[in-house]
This record gives sequence, structure tokens and C-alpha cells, in this order.
Amino acid sequence: MVVKVNNLVKRYGDLLALDHLNLEVRSGEIFGLLGPNGSGKTTAINCILSLLKYDKGDISVFGKPMTPDAYDIKKDIGVVMQEVAVFNELTVYENIDYFCGLYVSDKAKRRALVDEAIDFVGLNDFRKFRPKKLSGGLLRRLNIACGIAHKPKLIILDEPTVAVDPQSRNKILEGIVDLNKLGATVIYTSHYMEEVEQICSRIMIIDKGKVIASGTKDELKSMITLGEKITLDVFNINEAQIEGLRQLRNITSVEYSGGILEIRSLKGKNNLERVLEYVKSEGISFGKIYSEMPTLNDVFLEITGKELRD
Amino acid sequence: MPVFNLCLKILKKNLPVMSIYFGVFIMVSFIMMSNASGSQTGYSDVKTDIAILADEESVLIDGLKTSLSDVANFIEIGDERSQIQDALYFRRVGYVLRIPSGFTEEFLAGGTPTLSKTVVPGSNSSMYIDMNIEQYLNTARLYANAMPEMPLDELTEAVLGNLSQDTKVSMLSSERIYGEQGMMQYYFNYLAYTFMFVLILGISVIMLVFNDLSIKRRNACSPISASKINFQFYLANMLFTFVSWIILVSVSLAFGHKELSSPNTWYFIFNSLLFALTASGIGFFIGNLVKGREAISAVANSFTLGTCFISGVFVPQVLLGEGVLRLASFFPTYWYVKANAQIAGITNHSWSNLNGVGNTFLVQLGFAAAFFVLAMVVGKRKQMAVEEE
Repeated sequence: MVVKVNNLVKRYGDLLALDHLNLEVRSGEIFGLLGPNGSGKTTAINCILSLLKYDKGDISVFGKPMTPDAYDIKKDIGVVMQEVAVFNELTVYENIDYFCGLYVSDKAKRRALVDEAIDFVGLNDFRKFRPKKLSGGLLRRLNIACGIAHKPKLIILDEPTVAVDPQSRNKILEGIVDLNKLGATVIYTSHYMEEVEQICSRIMIIDKGKVIASGTKDELKSMITLGEKITLDVFNINEAQIEGLRQLRNITSVEYSGGILEIRSLKGKNNLERVLEYVKSEGISFGKIYSEMPTLNDVFLEITGKELRD
Repeated sequence: MPVFNLCLKILKKNLPVMSIYFGVFIMVSFIMMSNASGSQTGYSDVKTDIAILADEESVLIDGLKTSLSDVANFIEIGDERSQIQDALYFRRVGYVLRIPSGFTEEFLAGGTPTLSKTVVPGSNSSMYIDMNIEQYLNTARLYANAMPEMPLDELTEAVLGNLSQDTKVSMLSSERIYGEQGMMQYYFNYLAYTFMFVLILGISVIMLVFNDLSIKRRNACSPISASKINFQFYLANMLFTFVSWIILVSVSLAFGHKELSSPNTWYFIFNSLLFALTASGIGFFIGNLVKGREAISAVANSFTLGTCFISGVFVPQVLLGEGVLRLASFFPTYWYVKANAQIAGITNHSWSNLNGVGNTFLVQLGFAAAFFVLAMVVGKRKQMAVEEE
């Protein structure tokens, strides 16, 4: 086990930020910590890194207790904070060199590692740029390079794609998968369920400091009763026909607005087939048709009764 | 030493702003030196250029000339009104004395013959000549009244002998300005302004960078201990303080190089080193309190200018009001300036003379220690707040 957290409790006055949180991260996986803003993701990460004092619980990393002066553990951890932590006075190269220098003292080795990190995040054309001259996406990439340049065994990324353009976001996500393939264990926190779904091998959903669910994405989706969402472009449909659809087996809701018919169903076989048969039998003409399986947002919605991004 | 190197890089980026203040210091020192190159370097003998237009010749008048020769250079000018006016206007002479015909006879007869003079308006040295003439004639009158039978040549000789006697005065330590030593005091006083600003700005800018919460947390994630980071941080700042001190003291010494051999110069240097420590302590303290680069510049400017004004850096302390000085005594700049004044007044290096300066040094050391402790307390409190957040 790379990281093990037992019954972690953290209070800010009366607010219970982490409520007996238990967490295990296995070697070689990309572990996703998913939850809405304020759910306790960053607090959990800061406690794991011993940046915050906590009220109760045990944290161990690489099998050893994690403390503020556990420097032998810290040397194998790479951290990419939610807030970009770089020096505006230094260039891209100098920034990465500084943070890498905190872990690697050998100059020649460091130079090679910095070059590799710059290459990895695609900042070769910006080596001599100061952070203020970089776009939001490039700045995030620099932040990542500063955290991973020393090739750590465990990489903790706390919402690294906040306020990043789609192109940079894809680049970052691809990079994280590549780092994992190179042998690093990754803890990735986000409130973007698509990202977590895309790259994480195991996911933990938290809300209000409590673990709501954890497992692979398929395991999580199997926990809920919700089936697929069927969407049709319908040109003409009356109230009786909509009511008829509602009466079909497993169908939980039917809504029609602006030519779009949205049908939600419970988990079950042949839901789409039944809908299509009914539409044909009623002579309802339709254009495009989509069927989407439940997302992590649906999982979160069903468990908590609210959207992930509320 | 990544933190040490980083501090130096940050300082390098702020070098242009600090260079302005170094430049201003050098310029002001240069202006002070130019102004001081005249005769305003405390007490020294100077002779006034005078012309004596005597309408008669006598032993008494020759005696007067001999007496005045110690304080005056005799310049030959024409006796015409326009020639006298020209000589005064073009400052060939500052004083023209006319001795009328029959002066000696009337004087010896007990009369009060009049000497006429023409001087450059507002001339201070003319008063000094007046005093010397009066002293000569009063002494001669004393001899003439007391010994009416005395021949004129003997009387003149007696008067000159009398006036030639000097009283030896040995100066004890007191507040006085003497020559280049006084200029050294000015250079070192003014150094306080540049020093304090440059150190506050340099150190607090580095502190601002390292006090940024995200940087602080990022550094805390690294395998370098907080004590090692702090050590490298303080080492870089001490190096910066020391290099700034060397540069500014070198400039002061270059301008006051004539006084390098004086032992007082070493006291000035030591005093500035103590002030450097205090100023860096203030830099650490302000750096821990202030958030934002603009705020640092504003605080550095107002604190430096304010304390320098009330402490006597720009205006001598003797000209400042009692209330102002009382307020200033709560700031280290006051004690630095006071120590400089005490050092300038040291003429013999006896224990009693050095005792006063020593006490002022101790007060400055106390200030330095207090600011460092304050900075550490504020820093620790902030760190604890971060760990609780």
C-alpha cells in the first residue's frame, strides 16, 4: 500500500472538514478523489502531506507514518498543488530547476531531469519565459513540471486542471497517464467527473468530508439503480404519447422540450428497444437518437441528491 | 543550496531599484564633498586680505602692521576712491584701513584719533580685524597711560610682546566639528537613509516571495527541513546585508579618505555595521508583516524617511525639538546618529570618552535583537496559522 489513511478527522472550529475518512492507494494505480468544491479533497491531501494538523487518525505513506519531518518519505513524493506555486522572478527553466533542486543536489543529473520535465509538459519553446508571460494552461503545465521533475514514486495532483483550456487539459491528462505508465502511483483530485472517469483506475467520491462511494468506475455505476438516458430529436408528439412512454417498463421520467425528448430509465435490459418499438408503433417521426450510460455525476446525484458541480 | 541561490536571484531582479538608492547616496556624498572643499571644515586659521593706506609713518603704526600680519595679508592698492572701490568689489581685499596724518601724535597725547575703514558688506572677517586693531590700540593706550615716559619704540615692543603671548587650550571631548572628521560624520549619518531603505526593500521582497502560502506549502513538501531552508534564507540575507554594508561604507570612506588614518573612522565603521544588523532586523520584521510588493515599497519609504528625519540624519539633532528627539529615541536611527556624533567628538580614547559611545552601541544591539525576535515571533505565529488552516 502506498498511502493508507485511517479514520482521519479534521475540524475547522465547528465545521467537520474530514469525517473519519478512510483511504487506501495501491502501488501503480491512478487513484481519483472526486467530490464537489468544499467536499474536503484538498484538506485530505494537505493532511496526507503533513501540511495540516489533524484532530484524529493515522496516515502512512510507503508503509511509514507520515509526519512533517518524514524527509525520507517526502523525497519520493511529487506534489502539484491546486494553487500554482512558482516564482514570478524566475524563468520556466529556473523554476523547475529550483524545485528539482530541493530533491536532487547533483547539478548534471538535475539538468537532465529539468530538460526531461520541460520536454514532458511541452514547454520547450517557453524555457526562458517568466510565469507572468504564460497562459493559464501553460502555467499549469509549468506547475506540473515543477512537481514531477525529480521523478517521484508517488505523485499527488490536486485539481491540476482548474481554469485550463481543453487543449492544455487533454495534454495534462495524457501526461498523467504517461507518468503512471512510467511507474508512478498517482493521486488525482478533481471535481470534473469526466477527467476522473477518463484516467483513474480507482475512484473515491467524497462529500462533506465523508466517503460516499469508492471502487472502479464500473463498480461505482453498478451501485445505482439508474439506467441509460435516451434522447431523441422528435418533430411532433402529443401529451398522450408522452404519457404512454412513461408507462413503459423501467422508464422513470419523460420530458419534452424544444423538439428534444429526454427519457430516463432504471437499470435493466432492452430499455432502448422498448422505447423505439413504442415510437414506431405510435408513428412518431424522429431524427437523431442518443443513448448514454449513467455517469459518475449520476452516481453522485443518486447518492447525495445533488449535482457534483452544485 | 537551492534556497540560498534563489534568494540571490530574487535580489538580482530587484537590483535596478536598489541601484537608484545607491546612486543617490553616491551623488549626495559627492555634493557634500564639493561643498566641503571650501573653508567650512571647522576651525582653522585663515588670513584676511587687507590694505592699509597710511598718511603717516611711525613706530606705532609699524607695530600695528606687525600685529595684524598674523591675521592678515597686506595687499598694495592705489589710493584713489575708484581704485579702493574696485579692489573691494573684485574682492582683492576685504578690508581697507586708512590711518590719517597726525594719528600717532594725537594718540600719544591721550586723544582719540579716528581710523577709517571700508569693508566688503557682510564680511565676518572684518570684525576679526577690528578686534585685533582695537586690542593693539587698547594695549598701547594702557602702556602709554601707565608709563608716559616710555619711549615709543619700547612701548611698541612691549605691546607686541604682550599680544604675542598665547594661551594653550586643550580641547576636551565636546560637540564640535573639526575638519574632515565632521564630514565623515555626515557621510555616515546619511548612510543610514540608503542603508535602511535598501535593506528593508531587499530583505522584505525575499520574505514576501517565501511567505506566499502556496510557495510555503510547496517548500514544506520537499525533503529539505524547515531549519535548513531558514538557514539558507538567513545566510543569503546576511550576505546581502554584508555586501551592501561593504559598498556603502566603501563609498563613505572613498569620499572621506583623508581621515582613514584616524582611529575614529574605525568607530564610524563599527557603528555602521551595528546599524546594518538593526536595519536587516527591521527588514525581516516588515517582511513578515507586509503583504504585497507595493506595500513594501511604501512602508520602506515612509519608515526610512520618517525615522531619518526625526532622528537627525538630514537635520542635526541639536536643531531638533526635545519632543521630536524623545520620539526618535524609540527608533534605532536616532541612536546610530547619536553614536556618530559621539564618535566625531572623541579626541582622546580614554575609557570615560568611549563609555558613552559603548552604551549607544549596546542600545543599537538591543534594537537589532528586538527586531529579530519580533520577526521570528510574527513568522512563527503565521506558520502556526497556516498549519491550522
